[in-house]
Amino acid sequence: MPPGAKGALLAGLSVLAVLFCIPTIGVLLSSFKGTAEIAAGHLWFGTSGFTLDNYAEILSKRSVYQYLRNTVLVTVPASVVSIGLGTLAGYVFAKLPFRGSRVVFIGVVAGMFFPAQILLVPLFRLFLGLGLLNTLWPMIIVHSALGIPICTLLMRNFLAAVPDALREAAILEGANELQVLLRVILPVSLPALAVLGTLQFTWIWNDFLWPLIFTQSDDKRTIMLGLVSMKGQYSVAWGVQGALSLVASFPTLFVFLRFQRYFIRGMTMGSVKG
Amino acid sequence: MSFLKKVGAVLGALAVTGTLLVGVPARAAGKEVTISHYFTGDLGHDAITKIFADFEKKTGTHVVDSPTGHEDFKTAILVMAAGRNLPDVFSYWAGARTQFVVDSGALRPIDDMWKSSGLDAVVPAAIAKGATLYNGKRYLVPFGYHYAGLFYNKKVLAKAGITAAPGTWPEFLAACKTLKAAGVTPIALGSKNRWPGQFWFDYLILRTAGPEYRAKLMAGQASYTDPEVKAAMKLWKDLVDAGYFAKNANADDWTDAADKVSRGDAAMTLMGTWITGYWDGLKQKAGEDYDFYEFPVIDPRVPKAAVGPVDGLVISGNAKNAEGAKELLAFLITDTQAQAAWAKAQGALSPNVKVDPAGYSSVMRRALDVVSSAKAFAFNYDLATTPPAAEVGLSMFAEFMNNPADYPQQLARAQTQVSEVFKKK
Amino acid sequence: MQRSLRWWRLALLSLPMAVYVAIVAWPLLDSFYYSVTNWNGFSADYRIVGLENFRALYSDPLVRGALRNTMVWTVAAALLPNLLGLALAIALERHVPGSRLFKSIFYLPVCLSAVVVGQIWVWIYQPDWGALNGILGALGAPQSQRAWLAEPGTALYSIIVAWSWQQTGLSMVIYLAGLTSVPQDLVEAAALDGAGYWRRLWHVVLPMLKPATVVVVALSVINSLKGFDIVYIMTGGGPFHASDTLAVAMYDESFKRYRMGYGAAISVLLFLITLGVVATYFRELRKLDELTV
Repeated sequence: MPPGAKGALLAGLSVLAVLFCIPTIGVLLSSFKGTAEIAAGHLWFGTSGFTLDNYAEILSKRSVYQYLRNTVLVTVPASVVSIGLGTLAGYVFAKLPFRGSRVVFIGVVAGMFFPAQILLVPLFRLFLGLGLLNTLWPMIIVHSALGIPICTLLMRNFLAAVPDALREAAILEGANELQVLLRVILPVSLPALAVLGTLQFTWIWNDFLWPLIFTQSDDKRTIMLGLVSMKGQYSVAWGVQGALSLVASFPTLFVFLRFQRYFIRGMTMGSVKG
Repeated sequence: MSFLKKVGAVLGALAVTGTLLVGVPARAAGKEVTISHYFTGDLGHDAITKIFADFEKKTGTHVVDSPTGHEDFKTAILVMAAGRNLPDVFSYWAGARTQFVVDSGALRPIDDMWKSSGLDAVVPAAIAKGATLYNGKRYLVPFGYHYAGLFYNKKVLAKAGITAAPGTWPEFLAACKTLKAAGVTPIALGSKNRWPGQFWFDYLILRTAGPEYRAKLMAGQASYTDPEVKAAMKLWKDLVDAGYFAKNANADDWTDAADKVSRGDAAMTLMGTWITGYWDGLKQKAGEDYDFYEFPVIDPRVPKAAVGPVDGLVISGNAKNAEGAKELLAFLITDTQAQAAWAKAQGALSPNVKVDPAGYSSVMRRALDVVSSAKAFAFNYDLATTPPAAEVGLSMFAEFMNNPADYPQQLARAQTQVSEVFKKK
Repeated sequence: MQRSLRWWRLALLSLPMAVYVAIVAWPLLDSFYYSVTNWNGFSADYRIVGLENFRALYSDPLVRGALRNTMVWTVAAALLPNLLGLALAIALERHVPGSRLFKSIFYLPVCLSAVVVGQIWVWIYQPDWGALNGILGALGAPQSQRAWLAEPGTALYSIIVAWSWQQTGLSMVIYLAGLTSVPQDLVEAAALDGAGYWRRLWHVVLPMLKPATVVVVALSVINSLKGFDIVYIMTGGGPFHASDTLAVAMYDESFKRYRMGYGAAISVLLFLITLGVVATYFRELRKLDELTV
């Protein structure tokens, strides 16, 4: 790195980071203020009226814990399954292509090309017919399926960059494809898996459309649906909503912090050199 | 490798939790009624949950309720309808929206329940006629209704020297002029979500052309380019040109406009009685900090009409527990305790005439009097005309606030689109 | 026992494809079917109307406007968050002090749900007490203050900025992962050959980031085309349809105007456009391809 540039870089990053933080600070502020304060226009620059009431309110509601529990029960399995299925498909498209595999690949990736609202009615009918409405199953299954396109895309691209020599060497040593995938290829793809894990967890966690359709009773709801439902037809609850949205974002942030060390270089250098 | 071990552990946990997740899709025996509604928000939700609990105590029927925010509710109910799995009961807006659903054959008529519960004596005639009868049959039970009036900040008006509520249009214009001279924006309008602008359109047409003409316009039998409509829009434009409206109406939500009034930056806002629920929640006092007056009379020969939405409950055509649903509806409208609690929580008026008016705040009591003595009760625009046409009008009102001078072209464009809608019918 | 490649292809692909077809592909086609009907969602019967919906689409000014907005957003989406995300990834991949904190700050918006993001940016753009106008005023530029979300000229761009704020962290994270697969020895060899920092960046690092770039651009373009929640929260598609996108138009038609058939036609249009954009992108990429299949 050119000398002196490091200081300039740090300064630039800091300015950008501060600007980037402004909206997040806004959410933070709103969680500590009452709805009346915000209604009076004092969100950003007023200093009176700090309160912990919003947090007290959500932490004392039993339904909030229920929502969080449901969201975990949906998000973790769906993330794991979608990444797993995407890895299987990505491996085939990257390492075992066949005639027409490119078309099939685009067909799979095309599953990302539309807003989820399009599938609302057909999937509602499907799970109604299966008798699974108002359970957590439809959300898990739908999120697993909807994650396949992005997981396939990412895994295929990263696996394609892994040298073929690795696979060939393993085959020569007598491994079958599955063993190659699990023992040789996957350990090298940890950054991609970590990225996918983080992203899928975040997207599934933050979704409220499928819980809206598939749950009817309160005890099956997820946290985002609870957040969205706080707004009444003729009332608002800014402060509590702010607090709840922060609490609801802790898990996704936590997942990022835990996984992000896999993005750091140095993790995989050894095997790629092979 | 440890990462893979974690994956394996999670998969194992998945298998375990899988057994816990097989939910109980439906209650085996025992009576229960399913209901979907849009009564969310703290006060409303608590109140209705308690009302359902009372119902269960009285009848032993359990209410499975599914509250959803009213915007998302529109999505959810349509998906359920499309999947042919509507709940037994659901809340809906009386008027053109319910008409639409009735015409689609999705609802069950409730004439029998209406008679057996003697609702003719419970629901005021004007509301019963407009809100519950569709194609000659009863389909909807009103749950609560609202009235749209000019809600104002008492202190602001008093400070500007306005002692009497303006009753006629010239008095209203004079009041606005006084307020502006005193440094206060006379009118706040928060049309970000488009719908608040409709009350201005409604009242201007009702006070000049009358309820019968308006009904024709809503039904597609009159045109938005008629001189009556143009005259009403011109009056509105005059108000905007005189600077009586707060700037950037389209940037504010209705709550922002209400906040402007309660802060004293603006004097009044044309809004429904639910604003009292909002203001009470912000510790404003009815009658002391805020009050309302009726939209001024413009043409004294035209009968004075009141505008407001009616929230109702309907029973779906293939309800699993139709009897239980009818029981629930009867309870919700006839039980005066439930009605009183509900009205209070929502800042609404009860459609049950037997509810004691003493339970209302002074402001709401006056609203009740106004509605009772009104010559006609009309639904606000987006509930009075069929939904596809309402979408056109609502956008036009927002466009008008952005550029009032363009209103003849806006009306012409709206008419083109609306006539398409009515042609298809 | 060595099974044939073909067997393995089938074995590994069968489960993902089965789930995908059952839950995504088939319902999608089922939904597209309604685009040739006049179904309104509520009633049990409807008529098949052939291509009438599509003909109406073609001449509908609202759809044209939504299409235009969607295209603008797509171009912005391909550029804005990705260039910024790339720059951030490169800057933070080296050992800058506090890089972990920086990464978290730039990634945090991704963790927030669209509902929260939309609401907080509404409060930033608020004309009277919002942060943006406040800052402009403090910087001595009150004439630049506007009603950002209420003016048809600025509403869409304001939303795009808010969306990019959230999308940048995503691009950054994918680029960070991509940078881990850039072989250090290649970079070092170039340095030894006398290539300066920018040369090394341009000729060695960036080309090796092509797979990541493919993903990042495809992702942001696709996300922008689907963009719905954030528009809905911030403007509802307003003022009077000025910030409508095809996704918003589809929702309005289906759920507010009770025209599910017409809404389905819009979703078909949106799908075909996305397909076209991405297929073209992949084809162009294949022409310049050196590394990947």
